[in-house]
Amino acid sequence: MNPPRLILSGLHRGENPQPGAGLIKSIRAQFPGAFIIGLVYDAMESGIYMVDGPDQVYAMPYPTSGAQAYFRRLDEILALSPADILIPTLDAEIELLVHLEEEITRRGLRCVLPDKLTLQRRSKANLTELANLCDVAVPDTQPIYDLSGAYAVSRGLEFPLMVKGQYYDAKKVQHEGELAAAVSRLAAEWGAPVILQKCVDGPEFNALGLGDGKGGLVGLCCIRKTILSDKGKGLGGITINDPRLTDLCERLVRELKWNGPFEVELILDEKRGEYFLIEINPRFPAWVDFPSQCGANFAGALVRRLLDGVWPASLPTCPAGHFYLRHQIEVHGHVNQIAELAGTYA
Amino acid sequence: MLNDRGFAFDPTSGETFQLSTTGLRIVRLLQQDTGHEKILEHVIEEFEVEPNTASRDLADFLLSVKQVGWISE
Repeated sequence: MNPPRLILSGLHRGENPQPGAGLIKSIRAQFPGAFIIGLVYDAMESGIYMVDGPDQVYAMPYPTSGAQAYFRRLDEILALSPADILIPTLDAEIELLVHLEEEITRRGLRCVLPDKLTLQRRSKANLTELANLCDVAVPDTQPIYDLSGAYAVSRGLEFPLMVKGQYYDAKKVQHEGELAAAVSRLAAEWGAPVILQKCVDGPEFNALGLGDGKGGLVGLCCIRKTILSDKGKGLGGITINDPRLTDLCERLVRELKWNGPFEVELILDEKRGEYFLIEINPRFPAWVDFPSQCGANFAGALVRRLLDGVWPASLPTCPAGHFYLRHQIEVHGHVNQIAELAGTYA
Repeated sequence: MLNDRGFAFDPTSGETFQLSTTGLRIVRLLQQDTGHEKILEHVIEEFEVEPNTASRDLADFLLSVKQVGWISE
């Protein structure tokens, strides 16, 4: 069989790391001959320049430019660098592509995506309904569409509270005086609705998984975040084995019949001894390569599924006690590389 | 997991702990099903602590290990 030719995105690391660079490392570990094409939205995405990074890089129009612009550019890229697998890694890309599987397939690309309804059911705005169905605790969460709505809802939730963009970014707001600025910024950046969520204090946990689309799990890796950045990003994490957390994730995946990669974010309310569901991301997290180093290659399993048409056998459980630390070093590039990407979209 | 240097890891919660020499000795005695009164005698004798102080510190320590779920009573 010829080595796979893949297209993936999300190559930025740095302060707000994306999954692409970790995916490349995991995929190369299982498929050393893979030809990897990186789609970038900015010539400063650091993964472009990493050692053993993508074999080829192309600039893309932002997903907000719409499906027509996305596919027009994808056709240009496929004419230059044929590929058979597409792995979108960013929330905005998944939102764009989720109902366009025919367009993807028509181009000879294989891709695993949830359906549109399922994607909406796990969105921040619908999280409470899903959590209630699965008997999972969730902080009081309310979508708001304007400032007057934000003020009204905030009185019920009490401060401090989290203000969240519908796709990304969040701001902890301590009092009413900070509310308008946070809501306006997140609405301008990510559109409406903006989400207001009651704060839960406690240690944070994440679970990375692959759903088989029928309600089962191909693999699951649960971690406790051990070091948090100012933005709440996990700069360190350690694998755990808590049957309650595994069971909670199984209930969510069973209800959604989730197809493909996902990340569940939770906070443990230590006083109540209960996990609170914070978010479900419809994609791999930035720490996707960490479980590969513990023997559970989630990206490899996804590529195997796309090559064979069926999910491989279940991934091994990551034993408790393995930890990661996010390690930043400088990558090297030359201005000529930026020049090659500039002027089109990046 | 608990090693001889007093480093402990709880695989369910992901929490790590560093026990003092005294704490490590107490946990080892608990693992051997030693009763609390006997543990107190060990602490007083081995660490040369005044009985009232030892009793108070032992109670605090047992409460802490109960809170993290290492003992149930």
